[in-house]
Amino acid sequence: MANTQSLIEQLHRIVKDASRVIVDHESLVPFKSDYSSEGTTPLAVVFPITTKEASEILLLANQYKTPVFPRGRGTSLSGGPVPVVEGIIMDSTKWTSTLEIDPNNLIAVASPGVITADIDKAASKHGLMYPPDPSSLDIATIAGNVAENAGGPRGLKYGVTGDYVLGLEIVTPEGKVMKTGGKTMKNVTGYDLTGLITGSEGTLAVVSQVTLKLIPRPKETRTLSATFEDMTLAGNAVSAVLQNGLLPSKLEFIDQACIKAVEKFEPMDLPVFAEALLLAEVDGTGENVQKEIDEIALIFENFGGCVTVAKNETESNRLWKARKLVSPAIKALCSWKLSEDATVPVSQIPAMIKRLKTIGEKYNVPLVVFGHAGDGNLHPNLLLDKEDAGQLERAELAVKEIFQSALELGGTLSGEHGIGMLKSPFLKNEVGETGIDMMRRIKKAWDPNNILNPGKIFSADDNL
Amino acid sequence: MLTSEVKKLLVQIVGQENYKDSNEMRLVYSYDATPTFQSLPDAVISPRNKEEIQKILQLCNEQQIPIVPRGSGTNLCAGTCPTQGGIVLLFTHMDKILEIDEENLTATVQPGVITLDLINAVEERGLFYPPDPSSMKISTIGGNINENSGGLRGLKYGVTRDYVLGLEAVLPNGNIIRTGGKLAKDVAGYDLTRLFVGSEGTLGVVTEVLLKLVPMPETKSTMLVLYEDIDAAARSVSKIISNRIIPTTLEFLDKPTLEVVEDFAKIGLPTHANAVLLIEQDGPPEIVSRDMEKIAMVCREEQALSVEMAATEEEADALRTARRSALSALARMKPTTILEDATVPRSKISEMVRAINEIAAKYDLNICTFGHAGDGNLHPTCLTDARNEEEMERVEHAFAEIFDKAIALGGTITGEHGVGEMKSPYLEWKLGKEGVEAMKAIKQAFDPNNIMNPGKMFAKDSRKRVLV
Repeated sequence: MANTQSLIEQLHRIVKDASRVIVDHESLVPFKSDYSSEGTTPLAVVFPITTKEASEILLLANQYKTPVFPRGRGTSLSGGPVPVVEGIIMDSTKWTSTLEIDPNNLIAVASPGVITADIDKAASKHGLMYPPDPSSLDIATIAGNVAENAGGPRGLKYGVTGDYVLGLEIVTPEGKVMKTGGKTMKNVTGYDLTGLITGSEGTLAVVSQVTLKLIPRPKETRTLSATFEDMTLAGNAVSAVLQNGLLPSKLEFIDQACIKAVEKFEPMDLPVFAEALLLAEVDGTGENVQKEIDEIALIFENFGGCVTVAKNETESNRLWKARKLVSPAIKALCSWKLSEDATVPVSQIPAMIKRLKTIGEKYNVPLVVFGHAGDGNLHPNLLLDKEDAGQLERAELAVKEIFQSALELGGTLSGEHGIGMLKSPFLKNEVGETGIDMMRRIKKAWDPNNILNPGKIFSADDNL
Repeated sequence: MLTSEVKKLLVQIVGQENYKDSNEMRLVYSYDATPTFQSLPDAVISPRNKEEIQKILQLCNEQQIPIVPRGSGTNLCAGTCPTQGGIVLLFTHMDKILEIDEENLTATVQPGVITLDLINAVEERGLFYPPDPSSMKISTIGGNINENSGGLRGLKYGVTRDYVLGLEAVLPNGNIIRTGGKLAKDVAGYDLTRLFVGSEGTLGVVTEVLLKLVPMPETKSTMLVLYEDIDAAARSVSKIISNRIIPTTLEFLDKPTLEVVEDFAKIGLPTHANAVLLIEQDGPPEIVSRDMEKIAMVCREEQALSVEMAATEEEADALRTARRSALSALARMKPTTILEDATVPRSKISEMVRAINEIAAKYDLNICTFGHAGDGNLHPTCLTDARNEEEMERVEHAFAEIFDKAIALGGTITGEHGVGEMKSPYLEWKLGKEGVEAMKAIKQAFDPNNIMNPGKMFAKDSRKRVLV
């Protein structure tokens, strides 16, 4: 305890502004959890706003052998920022001083706590776009997106966060400050540390500044939706669109259970008898957008889809509203929602959808599916009752089988949410002993005291 | 020298016909495309499969014998020169395209596949593999991966890394690792795929590659723009980008380069201009023609002498081929050709071109400049003679100054060629001590006995920065 007391005194010495150090129990409690899981109450929450502060906090943590858990807005769905043992939460949300757009180089530079949507807004003033759009983009921080290598619907055409990170300034687990990458489009000066740190879930570095690539903003977008009486046909329609060389900016999938949930949540005349609803958005310029929309509509119709093309923005927004309401709507149906993001090769989407259906039935758990069908990134969600111990047990088995199915189909445990604490016991099944061994070696080389975000990616029996 | 015991074991692993240690063979594999670096390997080995590579690495790890994986040796940073002896590993038997998956748009290949062979094979199916390093006619995919090669289409389509979805590699301890998959998204643990790409053979031996393919663009259009003023050409590059147009290709050639390329290719290139931009756009026809019109307008506003569209695909191809032959053409001029690839942010292109010309004048050197202007990736090329020690010293000073300038402009010492042995003394200039230490820690973790391509990337000593 005396040790904790002195640690907190030292934190106050580093961060002079008392409002940026939280130590009272009541205020600490919310920092126990993220959107998916709960850990233990942290010793303190600090809000650094300079690289120097972040570096000193890490030096201190090494001295006290106290873990540090980097955190953005806590929207993670894998337990990424959750303190699994007592430690310090390093919260980036007050660190928002820099947001610069360099229109000549098509680059943005941002502080770690800048909200993702704000970057795209700032870019759009210059006719530019920052494409990655995780569903949480209005609240999530850019550093959180970098740590998790966040995806989003536009990932199909434009890729994920990692495809836009040109450079980073980071503080290493031992408190050293360094820069990786830079403002150049090409850079092969040594190992790709930018790529290594992106998606490392806060276990290798605290990100103190991000340099992002921007692209010219497409002039127009058009949306269409299609309902299918048969789920497999919808899956086949998705594959057919992609194999025909079409690349919509978004291609999203909602199953019947989700449609019903949304309709119940907010009635909007959704086709509750359809087994699946597909939403596609195409972007680009004039004639091309029209051409692509027509081609997609034709393919959907060939697979028995009933197509609606939005005539204007209001209509587009109305179509997308159904997709946006899926999460809140299904959450309203249950006391606990378990959200997965197993991802498979595009050609295996129909097979995966079929398997998910079987798994839900086999374990008798309510399982709904929606997600980024175009890139094989489905979000099977289990709608559970917190009080029903038997169901929770069955859910756990179902999740295991979902992972196993994804891997059998050549997929991955996680397309965009990260491994965190929830999936760490299963990582070995995907990357093998050698894969874990190599990742563990990197972690150990950079963070010998295991200070940064312990208990994530690696599970306890990986012997870190 | 390998002991007779080690030699016997290696022969057992790969067979007599795949183990070579004659003086001729050792000499042939003692250098790559980088001038002034040469060192004899102890043996040259061509394994037939990953199991053999596994055994070779285990043996070398035990005996602490250096291994230098080598594709076609076209690299320009002395990355495949066996500077510490040991074994040169060839992939001549591992040169198959294993699968082209048209449903998932992927290709699975062995490391020894020639880049252009892959490009042709996927184009036959109406698909597209964009990375096109100038050496693609002979370079291997394995080599491209190790160097994270760029190319002419990098501006719009990115570099090799952007197309590597997964890898299989043998690690120095003989373990086999598989990374990634046929997936658009994959965040399961650290991104080891990205770590391996561009690691210059220092972390392990790549034995299989999973590549992303994209649909073939509908059409393509090519244009040649001539300038009186080099600065105006460079300004056009920045202006095209800031006009929100990203062409497929945006290449720059200065007058000295143009002259030698024309002398070599004889396709009627205009040698009266002081600078030329080779510009290409691909995609749906309407977009291509609109972009090209806009680009032409920007170039005219910058006082281009002429803006000419290639009338036929043959003509366009001749232009591209001429550009790709720039290095070979320059190499005919003088005994030694030293090519660099300092890279700057796009908006700094004209400043960098100016700086290169000033530095060339200051050190009284013949430096020709061409390169991927749209990426900010220039190739200042010095025509010199390695036997002229006095001049070589000036060359070294000049390049040090070019690196320094690139870094000062927010750029880096290498955009696509890699660090290798050649640029290793300068690594710390860009990365700082902490950066180099962080990379060394990874190397140490993967390869504690330092058998994988030793001496590359990390220098014994960093070069002192003497410039004012």
